Amino acid sequence: MLEAKHLHKSYTLKEKNGWLSRRKQQIKAVNDLSLTIEKGEIIGLLGVNGAGKTTTIKMLSTLLAPTSGTISIDGINAVKQPELIKRRVNMIAGGERMLYWRLSARENLMYFGRLYGLNGNTLKQRCRALIDKVGLTEFADRPVERYSKGMKQRLQIARGLINDPDYLFLDEPTLGLDAPVARQLRVLVKSLAKEKNKGILLTSHYLEEVEELCDHVSIIEKGHLLLQGTPRRIIQTIVKDRSLIVVMKTLDKENWHWLKQETDKLGIHAQKKETNEGTRVDMKATFDMTSSFLALAQKRNLQLIRFDAKKPNLEDAIIRLTEVHD
Amino acid sequence: MWIAFSATFKRQLITMRRAYPWSFFIGHILDGVYITIFAYLSYHFIFQGQLNTQFVSYTGTSDYLSYVIMGGVFNSFAVSLLMIVSRMLINEMREGTLEALLLTPSSRLGYFLGAAIQGLMRSGIEWLAIICVGLFFGLNLVAAHLALLLPIMIVLCFALFAQALVLGGFMLAFRDTYITQNTLFVIMTLVSGVSFPPQFLPDWIQGLSLIMPLYYGLELMRSVMTHAAPSSDILYHLLSLSTLGILYFAIGLLFMKRMEKSVLEKHFG
Amino acid sequence: MMKMLTICQAEMRKSHRHNFNNRLIYFSMFLWPIIQFINAYYAFKPFNLGQNSPLSRFVPVNKLGLFLITGCIAYIFFWSLVQSAWMMGYERQQGTLELILLTPASRTLIMFSRAAANLIEAVWMFSIFAILTIFFMGGLHIAHWWLLPFAVMVLLLSAVVWGGFLNTIFLFSRDAGFLYTLFEAPMEFFSGVRMPIMAFPIWAKVIAFVFPLTFVLTILRAIVMDGKTLGSICIPLIELAIILIALTAASFILVRYAEKHAKETGNLTFF
Repeated sequence: MLEAKHLHKSYTLKEKNGWLSRRKQQIKAVNDLSLTIEKGEIIGLLGVNGAGKTTTIKMLSTLLAPTSGTISIDGINAVKQPELIKRRVNMIAGGERMLYWRLSARENLMYFGRLYGLNGNTLKQRCRALIDKVGLTEFADRPVERYSKGMKQRLQIARGLINDPDYLFLDEPTLGLDAPVARQLRVLVKSLAKEKNKGILLTSHYLEEVEELCDHVSIIEKGHLLLQGTPRRIIQTIVKDRSLIVVMKTLDKENWHWLKQETDKLGIHAQKKETNEGTRVDMKATFDMTSSFLALAQKRNLQLIRFDAKKPNLEDAIIRLTEVHD
Repeated sequence: MWIAFSATFKRQLITMRRAYPWSFFIGHILDGVYITIFAYLSYHFIFQGQLNTQFVSYTGTSDYLSYVIMGGVFNSFAVSLLMIVSRMLINEMREGTLEALLLTPSSRLGYFLGAAIQGLMRSGIEWLAIICVGLFFGLNLVAAHLALLLPIMIVLCFALFAQALVLGGFMLAFRDTYITQNTLFVIMTLVSGVSFPPQFLPDWIQGLSLIMPLYYGLELMRSVMTHAAPSSDILYHLLSLSTLGILYFAIGLLFMKRMEKSVLEKHFG
Repeated sequence: MMKMLTICQAEMRKSHRHNFNNRLIYFSMFLWPIIQFINAYYAFKPFNLGQNSPLSRFVPVNKLGLFLITGCIAYIFFWSLVQSAWMMGYERQQGTLELILLTPASRTLIMFSRAAANLIEAVWMFSIFAILTIFFMGGLHIAHWWLLPFAVMVLLLSAVVWGGFLNTIFLFSRDAGFLYTLFEAPMEFFSGVRMPIMAFPIWAKVIAFVFPLTFVLTILRAIVMDGKTLGSICIPLIELAIILIALTAASFILVRYAEKHAKETGNLTFF
């Protein structure tokens, strides 16, 4: 089990003002954050840019020392014995960094493997297995600079698995990837947790990703914890306004009155608009109204041209959440 | 440490084979060759071989050309080795691989040594090339104390390696390579006895030569490759060079460790 | 001419904003040259510098300092332009160079304005150092006072022409870093910055006469060290003028050729 308790991290930022004088400024990147990751579990860490996600991950992976607070992994203190921790964890960041572009996939993995103390046939076999696993077999001996973005990202995953870590930290792993590639990656992440029993921490911008993968989610904002729970509960809590847009070829007066009455009863706020597409009805509610609306439509046999259910995106929700907290 | 060493050595070897830094390579050789040609032209064509008596008393030799050509050869060698080692971490930072590297539980010393030994191959080729040019322009090699050549070379490389660690720390601190390295190099070339014995310099500048491994290295190399110096001098310089190397080494390791941390933190801002 | 001034002003403002906060200029244009000057001075120390020194066939021994500082100052003028041309490689990497070439301004004009703009910015610090050094060393010998501003004008003009030419070359070359290495030291070497070229063997003299700096230095030193009058330096002046005209013409032809090439292949670099 990975346990982080009351983590704080503040940076001193020196800013030049004028010729020689410098102003020091304290920035709290992480402020009293606690979280636990069990093996086989995927934890999501959500937040807007600059919320402290990356700093948290860097602290957990021993790259940064926390200003205060403790991190222990399977009973080992991460601040005091970083060398032991480094063998058990790894981190994968989105984007194209963290690889040697002049080396091939195999050479990259061999290099990092050796830095983890692996050698000989064990290392060779592991490299081959990982390259196969991430589907780079054909390109294994081509320099990374000739890879596409998706291929680099897959190689990153292989690099992150080279020491067979018990805990894996993924920092925006699907950033900038095409939808199919991102989906593959999600499948892989899920299998790592469920089949290989690894504890995984995932940061992401995408609500869907978190909803699909995570067992528990923490939302952080300006370095402190806003909300913690299962994705379902989180979404129920933060996603207050859902909207549903329906376009029908025609909607006579009678049907509209009936619809308005029925939706009001359910607590749905509905509005009608005539457009050149047809009649558009905008509905807003605090719950998922898809099934209730479809039931109503069936009753009166309404002909739908377009049906659009929208959730607010995570950023909006978090921003709203912080406004409440401020 | 051994694994980190060999891994980094291999990685650097592959990188060098794929993309050889030709402009650095030619640059270092030319730097040495220019010093050689300058000495040659001045000696023969301007001064008709007439030296200052002080030069002979300071250096113990009247072979000016060998003196300066050795200076050019080892100056280029030192610059090359210092650059290769000191720029390692900042290059990792620029290429975005620093974090992946620091994530591993590997030995940092092994990493630097791997880079240094691989770099020695490159510097060694440059070194040989300048020596070959030097032979045409009046470099006279004599084998005095030949048995000492290897130990001296090893100690010199170690001291330069240690100095490079300190230099690399400064590079990380300033986030700069070009200004930092060249400021060191112009000062080093001035005070280390590359093209004239530092005794000519005013005392306060001359003092700087005492912290330059290149100064001791040159004294030693000249006394085993171009003219025989008394063994007591050799021993004294060898001891000083080792001490200086150990000092730089300790400072360099500590400094690097500190800078690694601060680099990771500042990356955030 | 007005056009040139406008572009010059724009370039100046840009490079001021761009480089001035940058510490690079203080080091590469001030601190390093001073140390290199000291190094050049002391490199003569091992030789016989007494009354009977063979050096006095070319330069009076007591004027060696003056000889070197005039060499250094002229060299700095030229070298700063090598550096600014080198910087153009970065502009190409950042993609701003293509934007500049999108504008309707004449290419050659841009190249020359760029050189002129960067020159002043780069050399003022070392110039002050050099003037102070000369002041303390003494030994100036000038025939007419107006020859001094004349010498400065010759220096400025030739540096700008040289810089424009370099800019043009670097504009179209792929590995500017390499050219930089090749241009930097030989110029210092063979133009007589640190050594009187009259002492050179014939092969070195041939190389020396490739660089306009050689003629500039001859003229500059004749004016400030030997007290020559305009009449007695007219031969190197004419030689310099011919070289400058040739360089300007070469720049024009090169720009035209390169642009034609760029339009056909879509690639700015061709050598």
